[in-house]
Amino acid sequence: MSERAAPAGPGALAPWLATIAAYVVPLGFVLTPMALFLVYSFFSVDHGSIVFSPTIANYVRFFTDPVFLPIFWRTCLLCFTVALLCVLFAFPVAYFLTTLRGRSRYMLLVLLLVPLLMSYVIKIYAVRSILGGNGMLNRALLATGLIDKPSMLFVFNLNAVLLTLTVLLIPFAVLPIFLSLERIPKALRHASADLGATNAQTFWRVTVPLSLPGTLSAMSFVFVLAIGDFLTPQLVGGQSGFTFGRIIYSQFGTAFNWPFGAALSVILAAVVILAIRLGGRLESKHGGAK
Amino acid sequence: MRFADRAAPALLITLTLFVFVLLYGPLMVPIVSSFFTVSHGAVDWSQPTTSAYVALTQNDSVLSALWTTLIVGAGAVVLSVALGTGLALYYASPNAKGRNFLQFIIFLPFLMPPIITGLALLIFFRQVEFERSLLTIIIGHTVFVLALVYRTILTRLQSLSGSLVEASYDLGASSWQTFRLVLLPNLSSAMVGAAILAFALSFDETMITLLVTGTQSTLPVRLWAMMRLGFTPDINALVALVLLFTTVLCLVAVRYLMPASAVAGSDDN
Repeated sequence: MSERAAPAGPGALAPWLATIAAYVVPLGFVLTPMALFLVYSFFSVDHGSIVFSPTIANYVRFFTDPVFLPIFWRTCLLCFTVALLCVLFAFPVAYFLTTLRGRSRYMLLVLLLVPLLMSYVIKIYAVRSILGGNGMLNRALLATGLIDKPSMLFVFNLNAVLLTLTVLLIPFAVLPIFLSLERIPKALRHASADLGATNAQTFWRVTVPLSLPGTLSAMSFVFVLAIGDFLTPQLVGGQSGFTFGRIIYSQFGTAFNWPFGAALSVILAAVVILAIRLGGRLESKHGGAK
Repeated sequence: MRFADRAAPALLITLTLFVFVLLYGPLMVPIVSSFFTVSHGAVDWSQPTTSAYVALTQNDSVLSALWTTLIVGAGAVVLSVALGTGLALYYASPNAKGRNFLQFIIFLPFLMPPIITGLALLIFFRQVEFERSLLTIIIGHTVFVLALVYRTILTRLQSLSGSLVEASYDLGASSWQTFRLVLLPNLSSAMVGAAILAFALSFDETMITLLVTGTQSTLPVRLWAMMRLGFTPDINALVALVLLFTTVLCLVAVRYLMPASAVAGSDDN
């Protein structure tokens, strides 16, 4: 499309007007707010009102205060575990999809992706009704006799957050893995079989390495979604399940310290950018199957 | 190895089924409980009832939240489709300046966690002294869904043959005529699909809304507030209705967006 001839606009003014029109909303309502929140992170709060003089106190507080760093690392670890679990579940499913033919493959893919557009809050609520102390999971475990009193292992704590996020984010991991598996030319697998490899050998030495880019971008995808979430930990995390996202949100609510909240968000943004780049970087390094 | 070759498909099917249970199982709980009375954590299977749904129709806060959600969704759809189409056309035009930078800005709210987009807008609205209202929610949603709408329309635009536009100019059409008579009919199904997706995303958006809302609450925000208080039958009824609605919405969007080859069943394995 880009090589097509220039439309004969009325005069030389039209391209400029188009350029200005195209940039108004992205600059005004995306870049300016993002820049502003970066600036805000260098302000401070005094007696409930914001002091507009630059300081790095917010960042110093984050790195020196004994509360924030441990929660930050714990959240990173939690989200990494979620990403790992999601990929472990999503890989076999995506692989199974590629073994299907034609229409059923895409029908099943759609069925896996439909939950993505279903209300996020509702899904958290639904999972919570299963996890609770008196929830389905506990009652099922009691009924099978595996435990004799309701387990509190996954009731309003970080484990509950871990399980809920994993269930919610699996579909996000399926799609990139499926796409990378689908791109592997079948000739490669046939060649492997012709050279005498068993199915298992072909799987481990051809399919898995070639699907690595998709698997890694799935992981970074899930990680980014998990670390930015504050709804899930708020709803299933209880008192002990404090995460980084929740702390940021509380700065804009109860704690009312917007500049500190902004600084924490800058750190969150940095982690997110790092995760995206890592996912993408490794992808370009491994090349992917063309 | 022979055994492994036979056991592997069975294992794959089992795992896939398990994932389906994980994805859909939890959703069954509120749907089932919306039709039966639950007392002390046990479902009374003997008497199905629609009382929860009746109670819902009398719940004014839920109805007004639903209304707000529909207004916000419609606003965000109109704005994002208009903007997304314009931006896609601009990106594809030869006069575009800094198109990759522009595209990066458009993608930013989609790449960044919603909490960052939300509070950046919150700080922005406060700084320019823009009262938080229905309009701020619409702006937040538009910015959020724009990337997807833009990308969907641009993909369709780029799949069109350049000779279509050239032929139109050769036949003496103006750029407006070319847009209206050649590009628009070719883009319309992508625009409809993008609009439905945008509406579905807006219908569900919670994190940005929580941050940029004034006194209004959309349905997910209202649900969020209700859920923190616990489980009630009318929440379950609402949940069931919302799930039904979004599922229908998704299936309609899929019909518009799925490539024809996929529907026909492209088979390369």
